[in-house]
Amino acid sequence: MEMTIKARNLQRHFGSTRALDGIDLDIPEGRIVGLIGPNGAGKTTALKAILGLSKFDGELTVMGLDPARQRDRLMEQVCFIADVAVLPRWARVSQIIDLTERLHPRFSRERCMHFLKNSKVRPESRIRALSKGMVVQLHLALVMAIDARLLILDEPTLGLDILFRKQFYSNLLNEYFDEQRTILITTHQVEEVEHILTDLIFIRDGKLILNSTMDEVHERYVELMVRSDQADQARALGPLHERVLFGRHIFLFDRADMAQIKALGETHKPSVADLFVALMGTEPAPATETTG
Amino acid sequence: MSNRTLGTLSTLLRRELWESPVAFKWAPLGISALILLFVVFSLIIGGRFDAEMAFTSDMLRQLAEQPVEQKRLLVSGALFSVSAIFFQIMLLIILFYLSGSLFDDRKDRSILFWKSLPVSDGMTVASKLASACLLVPALFFAAIVLTHVLLLLIATVYGLLAGVNPLTTFWFPASLPRLWSVMLLGMLVQALWLMPIYAWLLFCSSWAPRLPILIAIAIPAGLAIAQHAWTLITSFTLPGFNLGLIMLKRLGSGVLPMSVNIEFGGQLQSIEFSEDLFMNYSTVLGYLARPEMWIGLAIALLLLFGATWFRRRATDG
Repeated sequence: MEMTIKARNLQRHFGSTRALDGIDLDIPEGRIVGLIGPNGAGKTTALKAILGLSKFDGELTVMGLDPARQRDRLMEQVCFIADVAVLPRWARVSQIIDLTERLHPRFSRERCMHFLKNSKVRPESRIRALSKGMVVQLHLALVMAIDARLLILDEPTLGLDILFRKQFYSNLLNEYFDEQRTILITTHQVEEVEHILTDLIFIRDGKLILNSTMDEVHERYVELMVRSDQADQARALGPLHERVLFGRHIFLFDRADMAQIKALGETHKPSVADLFVALMGTEPAPATETTG
Repeated sequence: MSNRTLGTLSTLLRRELWESPVAFKWAPLGISALILLFVVFSLIIGGRFDAEMAFTSDMLRQLAEQPVEQKRLLVSGALFSVSAIFFQIMLLIILFYLSGSLFDDRKDRSILFWKSLPVSDGMTVASKLASACLLVPALFFAAIVLTHVLLLLIATVYGLLAGVNPLTTFWFPASLPRLWSVMLLGMLVQALWLMPIYAWLLFCSSWAPRLPILIAIAIPAGLAIAQHAWTLITSFTLPGFNLGLIMLKRLGSGVLPMSVNIEFGGQLQSIEFSEDLFMNYSTVLGYLARPEMWIGLAIALLLLFGATWFRRRATDG
């Protein structure tokens, strides 16, 4: 099967900083992949390389095309939403829809109007007069009306209120996603996307720290909550990470012996946010940053 | 070019028109309105001092009795000088438009939206150039034609009042087909002649981190001044060959005469007053035979490749 995105030793340098430090990636079709990392980890650099917006070293094919040389052909198959600020502010809604219809062979005006039907976005409005949330609704309607195979979302819900954010992801999942499409999302609001992801990628300092399916993640990692008098026993089992919550010690284990662990206390699936903190080596509170 | 390519290009031109309606649409119509307003106003004011229209009628009758060549020079000359106002403002608008054309969407980040459409970067650059060379001249030309026709209609009304034949006094001497076709041809050749300047502005616009028009002016101006200073210091002479002056001269010596009447070098040629001055296919086409034209186009081509190269690597921020 052909991969939607295939990268081998993908690199990008800015001076002496390695924004992408030799990444290997295989994303098949029909996945929803979360690309999660701290600021400056290389998320946007990776997306820009995939979209043909910046140069890179190494091998990269997206839908079988070379993004650096064939961006225009690639964009017939790929859609992306960077964040809310990118629709041209001078344009009217109807003009943006007209332009997209004329320039994009896979765009369907009916679908776009269907998605806009329940919003407050009017065709005669200017983009600059719309609220942030309305611009996102419009952009999402445009993108979902394009029959593309790969959708890339870079912090799509930044600065939006929670109602919009919920609506955004539920539209995406219910009205857009299917087995032939792939969605690649970067966001800081991991808790909002973790239920829809099929794959999880952690990136830090231009390297992939984790790259697996959500099923594997749930098989591999387990969180154990114990009373403080049992903390030493738990520590002896070699946890990845330890934190204290209301006097309870919470340990995160990677491929642990479930029988041993269950004997010590309550276990559950770690959230993506907890896993992120554990693997990225930063403490949640107080906000001290450790490098490594 | 395939149909798809042409369709994309025409859509992109439409986009330029939507983005700059004031410069492309309202400016030529505004000039047209101002000229007509000025004419109507003068006629009304004039009418106050000329109660029975005796003076005006006399003038018109005198014009009607002039020999044909004289009438042609006067009427078509008047119409041409009206269009000269359009040409000068058009050139300014094009220069400002081009210097912002590959810069504004980088600044407001909407480049990310444009680049999400299946349009190549070469096509984007081509659409900006086509706007400057075809779309804007076409819109200004339409406004000129409109103004000419309305002016001739006003003249017709006065002519009828004065009892002269408006057809032989105004419409035939105006030689509209020739005037308009020379003008249209002139606008196209002008675009080719100015192509290196246009391409230079596009090139600066494609990479300038800010204020592309200032950068586009500052680089040749700086080089010119540096060269002047250097030759002055080393050999106490002024250079015969200077980039800044070459660019200024090209802007000043447009194909359409009277576009900007600055003659560098101090040699004013004696000018013979006849309609050939502004209505001559061979002067216009003569530009195509000049080596400077083709050198300019070759430079333009290089700069356009440069602009496309930078555009391909351009993202937001």
